[in-house]
Amino acid sequence: MKPSANLEGEQAAVHFDVVSKRFDDVVALNDVTLGIGRSEFVTLLGPSGCGKTTLLKLAAGFLGPDGGSISIEGKRVNDIPTYQRGIGMMFQNYALFPHMSVAENVAYGLKTRRVPRAERDKRVADALALVKLMGMENRKPRQLSGGQQQRVALARALVINPTVLLLDEPFSALDKSLRSSMQVELREIQRKLGLTTIFVTHDQGEALSMSDRMAVMSEGRIRQLGSPVDVYRSPADPFVASFVGDNNRLRGQLVSIQAEQAIVALGDALVQVPGERLSGLEKSAAVDLFVRPEQFRIVAPGEPCVIKGSVVAQIYQGGHVDLQIECSGSVGDRLLVRSPGEQAVLRWPMGAPVGVAIQADRCSVFPAA
Amino acid sequence: MNQQPFVRIFTAPATLCAVGFLAAMAAVLQYSLRAYVPGSLDPGGLTLANFADLLKPLYARVFLDTVVVCAMTAVVTLIVGYPLAYALVRVEQPILRSILLVIVVTPLFLGEVVRTYAWIIVLGNNGFINSLLMSLGLIGKPLQLMFTSFGVVVALVHVTLPVMVIMLAAGLSHIDRDYPRAAESLGAGPIRVFLTVTLPLSLPGVVAGTTTAFAWTFSAFATPQLIGGGRVNMISNLVYQLGFSSFNFPFAATLCVAGLALTALVLGLLRLASRPLRKIEVH
Repeated sequence: MKPSANLEGEQAAVHFDVVSKRFDDVVALNDVTLGIGRSEFVTLLGPSGCGKTTLLKLAAGFLGPDGGSISIEGKRVNDIPTYQRGIGMMFQNYALFPHMSVAENVAYGLKTRRVPRAERDKRVADALALVKLMGMENRKPRQLSGGQQQRVALARALVINPTVLLLDEPFSALDKSLRSSMQVELREIQRKLGLTTIFVTHDQGEALSMSDRMAVMSEGRIRQLGSPVDVYRSPADPFVASFVGDNNRLRGQLVSIQAEQAIVALGDALVQVPGERLSGLEKSAAVDLFVRPEQFRIVAPGEPCVIKGSVVAQIYQGGHVDLQIECSGSVGDRLLVRSPGEQAVLRWPMGAPVGVAIQADRCSVFPAA
Repeated sequence: MNQQPFVRIFTAPATLCAVGFLAAMAAVLQYSLRAYVPGSLDPGGLTLANFADLLKPLYARVFLDTVVVCAMTAVVTLIVGYPLAYALVRVEQPILRSILLVIVVTPLFLGEVVRTYAWIIVLGNNGFINSLLMSLGLIGKPLQLMFTSFGVVVALVHVTLPVMVIMLAAGLSHIDRDYPRAAESLGAGPIRVFLTVTLPLSLPGVVAGTTTAFAWTFSAFATPQLIGGGRVNMISNLVYQLGFSSFNFPFAATLCVAGLALTALVLGLLRLASRPLRKIEVH
């Protein structure tokens, strides 16, 4: 799958041009091309070992590519060492220097740039104010909470006015509530400063909520590049469909295909689905339907439906309820159905026989793997 | 707590050893407080005179020399060992790493006497260094390397190096690679990264290595005996002379006790001086 909507070298703040990297016999990156626009927040998302961290390390200069070229602000940086690239980076464990105070940590990048003392002090103070850490200047990193440490790491990366901000899973060490507030805050700061940002994560929720665009990666390739809405609504392939967001995979059989529409048999029922990714497929070939939990609707037994089954688990989530439906037949074994409103708990009790209808026009259909 | 019996069984041998050591130490301490009866192997009555004798210039001098030789050895070992330890931790090719490790560790298996004899061959008047320098015409007559503190320190550095390198490497390998990377990302070149990040973070290992090297050389015997040849005396050599030539067991014991106390004192001071370092948590 070729990534689309790619920026060309000149416009891009960071541009990876057919970059490849291998470690011994393992291909970490397989001809990756990716352009990141100025002030854009781009997420590299994928399971561990997909190459996302390798791509980030190549941008930082901690690794060199085996093939292709990397440019920052239009300048090829393949042979430029990390310390001359003008990047700002936040590490997974923050990597705050434990032997320096908060102020010394933040000032570090200014000292290497020989910024005069007075200006340095002012910029450190401004950066700490930006991340709301005034009054913490003389503390040592170990005297700070996880969230505060992260703020210091952010201030340290921002104070040098980096050309690009690189974030390596910076939220993974935070607890959940702190994580979401830090995400919002980081995004606000990034927008305010107009910083080009590359963000690496394996958390698809984080990628969906934060990115301008996201690149979904697996096995050293970019499987899909697009806005979170695009990626969620129309995944490019079965991998993206199952990796980003919750999805149910239903096995069906192609009955007919006409232009953009295909008719697929799911057990005894026929559904009309988008067919743009099925072109060239033989009739009665096996296909996979990916249906989001919210694209199902539970109906009382007897009403028209596609799949019949019974409720085996209720997961009350406050605002909505997730129901697991065990269904008879060859379509799939357990469905995850998301029902808005809490009344679903009472309406569809455990063990109740139910019917499941599908909002078929919005699901994604691929030839079965 | 059904693991209690196992704990007892497993610690029994260690406890037995500890009791043995304590008994030996107690015997030494007891001897140090007894009077020397010339011509007799049995000690006399209780006395503190032995400890007063320690202050005699002849003996105080040996203590001072020992401390100086140990300090020099520790410092030189650190200077030689640090680059080796650094390379051992950072070199990525497995073959180069193995070679380094072999170079560093093999001296441990040779024993102090064998290594010291090797140094006699190198340092002697007709030894490797002098022959080389003379054949190059750089010196007219052999340099005096044997029977000097210099020679003793050189040989002791070789004896101590493996321990130093292993302790430094342990310290260096605990430094997360993201620290130097973070410094690099902030614009620091390799030298600045080393001086401002790697070196400070490795100081706990430096302190551990230096103290161990110091304590290790304090009890050195074979090396000063063979290379010092009686002209460089360290405490162990004095103990040997007094105990086995003069049969003055009480005073030999006093020297042992004093040596132990001095080592403890120096190590205690080093620990105290390095207290701020322990607050550096390196994960």
